[in-house]
Amino acid sequence: MASALSGGLITSGRKIDCKDLHSYLRTLSTSVLDKLYNHPATCLAVFRELPELAKHYVLRLLFIEQPISQSVVSLWVDNKCHSEHQEVVHVLTDIRVWQEQPLPGGMQGWILSPTFRQNLKIALLGGGQPWTGRGQLPPDKHAKDVAFLDKYAMDRWECILHFMVGSTEGTVGVSRDIIEVLLNAGLMKESGSDPLPTISPTGFQFLLMDTALQVWFFMLQYLEMTESKGLNLVDCLSFLFQLSFSTLGKDYSADGMNETQLKFLQHLREFGLVYQRKRKVMRYYPTRLAINLASGISSINSTPHAHGCIIVETNYRVYAYTESPLLIALLALFCEMLCRFPNMAVANLTRESVRNALARGITAEQIINFLRTHAHPETFKVGQVIPPTISDQIKLWELERDRFKFTEGVLYSQFLSQSDFELLRDYAQDLGVLVWDNPSKRVMVVSRTGHDDVKKFWKRQKAGNS
Amino acid sequence: MGGSKKDRKDKDDRKTKRLKVQEQEKDDDDDATQDTEAAVVPASASRQVDEKTSVDDEFGAKDYRRILDLKLDHKSRPLWVAPNGHVFLEAFSPVYKHAHDFLIAISEPVCRPEHIHEYKLTAYSLYAAVSVGLETKDIVEYLRRLSKTTLPEGIEEFIKLCTLSYGKVKLVLKHNKYYVESQYPEVIQKLLKDPEIQQFRYRPGNEDENTQATGNLIEGQVATKGIQFNKTSTSNNEPQPGTSGSYANGTTAEEEQPSVPSDILKFYEKMDREDDEDTEDQKTVSFEVKPEHIENMQKKCIEMEYPLLAEYDFRNDTVNRDINIDLKPSTVLRPYQEKSLRKMFGNGRARSGVIVLPCGAGKTLVGVTAACTIRKRCICLATSGVAVEQWRSQFKMWSTADDSMICRFTSDAKDKPIGCSVCISTYSMLAHSTKRSWEAERVMEWMQSQEWGLMILDEVQTIPARMFRRVLTIVNAHCKLGLTATLVREDDKIADLNFLIGPKLYEANWMELQKRGFIAKVQCAEVWCPMTPEFYREYLHMKSMKKLLLAIMNPNKFRACQFLIQYHERRNDKIIVFSDNVFALKNYAIRLHKPYLYGPTSQGERLQILQNFQHNPKVNTIFVSKVADTSFDLPEANVLIQISAHGGSRRQEAQRMGRILRAKKGAVAEEYNAFFYSLVSQDTMEMFYSIKRQRFLVNQGYSYKVITKLAGMDEENLAYRTKEEQAQLLQKVLATTDQDAEEEEGIPGETHGKSQVVRRAGNMSSMSGADDTVYMEYSAAKGKNKNHQHPLFKRFRK
Repeated sequence: MASALSGGLITSGRKIDCKDLHSYLRTLSTSVLDKLYNHPATCLAVFRELPELAKHYVLRLLFIEQPISQSVVSLWVDNKCHSEHQEVVHVLTDIRVWQEQPLPGGMQGWILSPTFRQNLKIALLGGGQPWTGRGQLPPDKHAKDVAFLDKYAMDRWECILHFMVGSTEGTVGVSRDIIEVLLNAGLMKESGSDPLPTISPTGFQFLLMDTALQVWFFMLQYLEMTESKGLNLVDCLSFLFQLSFSTLGKDYSADGMNETQLKFLQHLREFGLVYQRKRKVMRYYPTRLAINLASGISSINSTPHAHGCIIVETNYRVYAYTESPLLIALLALFCEMLCRFPNMAVANLTRESVRNALARGITAEQIINFLRTHAHPETFKVGQVIPPTISDQIKLWELERDRFKFTEGVLYSQFLSQSDFELLRDYAQDLGVLVWDNPSKRVMVVSRTGHDDVKKFWKRQKAGNS
Repeated sequence: MGGSKKDRKDKDDRKTKRLKVQEQEKDDDDDATQDTEAAVVPASASRQVDEKTSVDDEFGAKDYRRILDLKLDHKSRPLWVAPNGHVFLEAFSPVYKHAHDFLIAISEPVCRPEHIHEYKLTAYSLYAAVSVGLETKDIVEYLRRLSKTTLPEGIEEFIKLCTLSYGKVKLVLKHNKYYVESQYPEVIQKLLKDPEIQQFRYRPGNEDENTQATGNLIEGQVATKGIQFNKTSTSNNEPQPGTSGSYANGTTAEEEQPSVPSDILKFYEKMDREDDEDTEDQKTVSFEVKPEHIENMQKKCIEMEYPLLAEYDFRNDTVNRDINIDLKPSTVLRPYQEKSLRKMFGNGRARSGVIVLPCGAGKTLVGVTAACTIRKRCICLATSGVAVEQWRSQFKMWSTADDSMICRFTSDAKDKPIGCSVCISTYSMLAHSTKRSWEAERVMEWMQSQEWGLMILDEVQTIPARMFRRVLTIVNAHCKLGLTATLVREDDKIADLNFLIGPKLYEANWMELQKRGFIAKVQCAEVWCPMTPEFYREYLHMKSMKKLLLAIMNPNKFRACQFLIQYHERRNDKIIVFSDNVFALKNYAIRLHKPYLYGPTSQGERLQILQNFQHNPKVNTIFVSKVADTSFDLPEANVLIQISAHGGSRRQEAQRMGRILRAKKGAVAEEYNAFFYSLVSQDTMEMFYSIKRQRFLVNQGYSYKVITKLAGMDEENLAYRTKEEQAQLLQKVLATTDQDAEEEEGIPGETHGKSQVVRRAGNMSSMSGADDTVYMEYSAAKGKNKNHQHPLFKRFRK
């Protein structure tokens, strides 16, 4: 009891807002969108992320050059799916894949945006310019294999995370650009005295997200800042979409890229999305982070890491086979750390520690997901990666912070006599709008909807009396 | 609880504490900060260790990375040893078995869930290790080999400190006189120089003071032959109860896997052998001790770092006649029962100590086998009359003893114990201090005059130290075997067992027994029952004991209970419902038309109810109070519902669960074959207690599933559906007196009734700290003088 109500820790719990591709595209202006569809890769990427029904519509309309009546389109689906149809219509309109166009008879019709149609055709049927680079590259003397690229990407990415946690290993190699993105995204905030920014509640949530989701979120924040840095958003976006269609372990030429794209490439190199041996070498390798970017957003599957290291026991003990300060720092967000051995750390999940994490805005789901994705291979053998009692308990700890029910209401007080009070209270009770009353103090609360009736009744009553 | 009783208890406490205080002052607190082993070492030598170890990393964890170096082949080694004495063991390591056997011998298990187990090295656990025959250098060496890292220096020192002086002095009972015996004359000399010990020493006819304090030593010879436990059972037609030799061989063979580093394996074999080899004749010196000072002597010796080991060379005891008792040919011991007995009879003598096995895992058989091995007169003490009956039937079931050899000494039974071979009685019967009948008086005289070979102490954790001492002064036994499932108590009396009986010899792993099907697979669940608004309003305003009663009588809880009973009765399960509160017990039972039994229920009625429960298919549910917590053997029961419990007692929770732990026949198909529901009213104190209660079982690897809503409850026709009914119930609860609201206690002033033994059981648990008032008092005291508690007790409080 005391636990649920004490402390006043009930914060609104601002959950990190991570948009998917469509909600992101919706935020862009129509002119940007139209320009974006100038590239087949973008069109294909957008198409891939559309809902099933929308894909169906687009394909039906792809080769039709004239508008189709809206009522005809709505007949393509059963009445049962009407709401789905409505939703899809919204999506397609919002991201300007199709546009409304009046038909000769005065009816409204749909027509695919011409640039989109043209470029999607190219993407699907072939033709047009090669998407990336120009011509063939001679073989690379310093060719890199997939394992190297993966390691490189993770190193770079963890560097940023380290920096966020404030562990000592992260401060080198994080440029001003990255810091700006982090600040802009609200993941970190600058405090007066400290030269380095410190992590914010949203930042904690960010840390517990999957890497793919982290990269996506981070890139969205980055893209929001492109304009202010003098980069062309459309160029960056199309390059990003291009990257997502490239092959892991293959090298690409940077020849023929414009200035924005070259600059953007350097930033991507810093985040670990591409590998480039030297700044001047016009050859780059996209890493897994970039390739998964556009494809991995909608279906974020939390596949367990192959090298997971966390064992969660039924007695709320957490053992982490790791030396990574990052992982330990993350664990320490919601665990009470007990002791550390050269290759292992021991921690406890306690109500206190989890509540601390919850108060920072981390959700129970994130904690459980984090533990699950990092689970030690040994735990797979017993079936349940995290003991169900533990995950239940974490969720219950979250729920117990949220025990209040809010009902809007109007307070009636200062009754002159007990009979007045009782009269009005009984009336409200009969109407079923009484929320709460206290006869000894002569106060009562009436729900918002019942307020008018009760007020009128009271006015009539008073008028009748006087 | 009368004030006078409490006072007496306090006085007792103080007496025992005074001796401990000196040790405590040197120690730092261990509990919350998990500081170093300094907390468990009475000696000052471990001090320098803390300073080095108290490096914290940025997250407040102890950072051992700098002190410990990882070995190159750390993957094939299973242990981490922390400088504070905690040991972590990988349960999935290929050498788990080797390490587990070793660790259980030298340390206390802290928690043993699925993957990683935690143990703790304590002075007492090392003492126990020495007493079962391990040597200092072996302990250190093996620990070093098993460890993934280098050993912390402090640990090595600590082990040396605790073990070098241990095991050198023994307490031996010969010809009804106690002697302190040692192979090391210098140790005896040292002990005798202590003025206190001089007082304890008994010198026949020689009253002049320490002119020759160290003189008059008795010299003797002890031939310790390597007698194995299995060889001690002599009769031919009987299967070897211990196939210990072959068992040990079998395990080592199966463990030979390529990934086991050879040094670990070799050493393991060596240690295994050494357990049994001990075949020199040794010269000993000894002196006699006054029997009334035995306990002080033991404590003093512990303070001087020479704890006394109690051993009984029963094979060479010619004074006491052998009794003709053997295990039946059909009796088969389970591996863990055998292992525990091997610890007890490891060097051919019988060691005194405590064996910890989960309820339902066959503790009784261990006791019976011990009696059949020693084959001397045996006294067996249980907690209640019902338990006495159970022991008697078990003796008859497993051994060749018949009615002529076994006697019950209780107020009910009319056996004639004088001259019997196996005597079964209750603690309260022996410790009874008021006037007895003439006949009982004779029996007591006879008991006191006897030299008993073995004393079996059942449910040893429940007995208050005071009663215990009385019992131990009345009965002289060569060897004492304590049996229990839960070596925890909410008060600090548990360490007294180390003084009074001996070290813990063996502790079984619950989860392992469960996996191998020796005990039932239990699904534990905590059912959250929301308080109805009316009840909760009263709950918040109420100040007395009734607060708890309101939580117990919560209509939602009642409905949940009824629902669970109906659900399981349909599955043909046998259900026990526990309630500490008698008012609730009666109300629930009467409303649901179920039989109930509690303190005042007479012995005859009890047996009748229990028999009906076991054999009558129409009686599937019984309601019981805490009298049934221990020693009620109900093999059929497989569902347990707990509607009210006693505060935060971990032991009670474990004991209750023990009622359904006995392995179930033919129910292997399901994942779980027993169910333990604990009903708690949401937002009340019960929630808080419930977490505390569960710690013991959670540390054994059990997990409680929290159920916030029972599926299908709305469809059932349950009581207290309407607000009116609930209001009536509320009125009824509010009309109770405070006395009703309290937990069950004995009825004062009625000490000669027929149900005497029974009531005592209730009383005992009250005195032993199970009573709510004592519990509260204890927790208050805990805050006040935290520094004044013996470090040994702290580990039980976590």
